[in-house]
Amino acid sequence: MSKVYTGRDGVLQLAGVTLAKVVSFSVQSDLETLETTTLGDGVRSYSPGVTGYSGNATLLYYKDSNNNVNTSDLLSKLIKTGTTGVSSSDTVSLTFRWVDGTDNNDITLTAYVTSASIGASTADLVRAEISFQGTGALAAATIGT
Amino acid sequence: MAFPVLTPSARAFDSGDYPVKVYKAQSGSETRILYGDKRTNMKLQLTYANISDANAELFLDHYDEMKGSFTTFDLNSGAKGGWSGNADAIGAQGHGNNYRYEAPPQVTQVRPGISTVTVSLIGVL
Repeated sequence: MSKVYTGRDGVLQLAGVTLAKVVSFSVQSDLETLETTTLGDGVRSYSPGVTGYSGNATLLYYKDSNNNVNTSDLLSKLIKTGTTGVSSSDTVSLTFRWVDGTDNNDITLTAYVTSASIGASTADLVRAEISFQGTGALAAATIGT
Repeated sequence: MAFPVLTPSARAFDSGDYPVKVYKAQSGSETRILYGDKRTNMKLQLTYANISDANAELFLDHYDEMKGSFTTFDLNSGAKGGWSGNADAIGAQGHGNNYRYEAPPQVTQVRPGISTVTVSLIGVL
């Protein structure tokens, strides 16, 4: 059956567990291109370089009935005490999913949280905004089937 | 082994000069003596961006074949590709010169199997 996807079909998972109160997410793939144009050519030509993945997500800052805050595991990768900073183990497994009944269209990647912000303003909900940078190959890319 | 027949992605040419010696008096007057009738010391820098490692190796092999900066050689049309003027204008042989390496070829690997090579040549009599 034909289908147009909407925001209601979007799911963001952290380590396989669906995150609550996700407002939006976006994932982007980039290909670095290496120019191979030589003198005398009239049209540019390129060789493919390396690919990479990045994106961002916005979540409402939300505490469930078990006192678990939905953004804790994301924000804590960057907002932390101590002098160690971020280590190579501070990665997260993110799955971006578009649901169609029982079919899932997934992009799963391992990423570093490169930006995290949270604030508060009068007459507005508290939101956490994160940006991430993928590292390594995708674990899943089933967006076309 | 001839210089690799590849068209560069960038080329910079310095046309050199005739062998002139300048004598300057304390008054500021200048006397110039021309010691030869051939222009020399032309410099040619060729950049081959994002070529295969196999092609990059051709420059290293040629540099080795030329015993580094010791042996002179002539440039083929590949190195002058994209130049629509007279090929002699950016060559060395038209003035009795030949090119030799001014510096070792610089190879920068940009990704697996792909490198950028910069070659610096100088024309000598």
